Amino acid sequence: MKFKYYKPQTVEEISELKRNGNAKLLSGGTDLMVKIRAKVIKPEIVIDTKGLGKKPISFEEGKVIIPINTTYSELIDNEEFNKKFPMVVEIMKKIGSPQIRNRATPIGNIANASPAGDFLLATYLFRGYTEIKPSNKKIKISTLVTGPGKISLKPEEVISSIELRERRGYQYYYEKIGKRNAMNISIISIGVLLKTKENIIEDIKIAYGSVGPTVMRFKDIEKEMVGKPFSKETFEKFGEIYMKNINPITDVRATAEYRREMVKSLLVKAYYNFNREG
Amino acid sequence: MKIRFKLNGKETEYDVPEYKRALDFLRDDMRMTSVKEGCGEGECGACTIILNGKNVNSCMVLAVELDGQEVWTLEGLNEKGETYIQDSYVEKGAIQCGFCTPGFIMSTKVLLDNNPEPTEEDIKNGLEGNLCRCTGYTKIIEAVKLAAEKRGEKNEI
Repeated sequence: MKFKYYKPQTVEEISELKRNGNAKLLSGGTDLMVKIRAKVIKPEIVIDTKGLGKKPISFEEGKVIIPINTTYSELIDNEEFNKKFPMVVEIMKKIGSPQIRNRATPIGNIANASPAGDFLLATYLFRGYTEIKPSNKKIKISTLVTGPGKISLKPEEVISSIELRERRGYQYYYEKIGKRNAMNISIISIGVLLKTKENIIEDIKIAYGSVGPTVMRFKDIEKEMVGKPFSKETFEKFGEIYMKNINPITDVRATAEYRREMVKSLLVKAYYNFNREG
Repeated sequence: MKIRFKLNGKETEYDVPEYKRALDFLRDDMRMTSVKEGCGEGECGACTIILNGKNVNSCMVLAVELDGQEVWTLEGLNEKGETYIQDSYVEKGAIQCGFCTPGFIMSTKVLLDNNPEPTEEDIKNGLEGNLCRCTGYTKIIEAVKLAAEKRGEKNEI
């Protein structure tokens, strides 16, 4: 499969190349190379974003800014990120393998917009925003992603960085169900952030992966859970509600029925994990 | 496209097609046949090379991306006499058909360079991107433990 390769040094040049042709951006290449080889996509132009260089990961006012070309390994190795975003580190450690994490990038995971995207799930819990160039827009990631593999980006636009907001004082739970630990594409995944006070749910954020067209989060259900007792009954009851609201599909990895059962089971499992720790 | 990079410590220049994978380039043009193609999609780690000190799957890297970078393959380690990992794999019988072995050795090297005294858990995590269909992994883990010892002794001298 033939294509032309460019490695421009400015966003403007990338933007120009991207506007005018069947182009794909390359950063880590761990998805792109597979898709090109399988002929799922046939770009005429491949634009290497690494020509832009790599800015450092930065922290400001309860946020982290992750610039383009930052790899998972670099985030996992970043001490401050570990301190402030332990849940995201746990999620990233379960992505791919060392070889993948040494190349793959969080921004690539968002751009690919897979419903099974593990980092993508994290961005739904940590109020993830993207910074878009050259327009200098900021778009919430849950708004940017419109469906499986779909993001609402204009041809000339590039995601230049993402930011996540710190969640202080929360307990967290993350589980990814699959067939192997390494290189596992999730069958279903769940991420929960929880704050309790005197055994009452003070705040809760719940995101599911691989059970819908994109990561699923229902803020109205979360709001209903606030003020309820932190108990197995509450989690079972809301597990049922989530089951009713989520309509997974059958695919090569699992059946819809299995996934629907797991929607509830994983929420109950989350309760047991929190209870053990609390 | 002309690329310049460091291959096993040597400055190398080559005119390579823009769409060629680093895997094919290293095998076919550079004759680094330790770099194996297993799955071709990043699952098996048989094509693992060390790129700027990190283990990566060369099937997911374009040859042109090597421009300006530093690459090590198993041939390079052998050439400079850094064979304690290879020796450990041989001693422990951690090789059967051998197809996965170069990839395992490259991942082992990166693991030990960053974590000279890994626990069994660290070893499993460090090698989770490499598949072996013969050994059942027990001997590979033993080999890595032995390699860590040898590396420690070597550094003490």
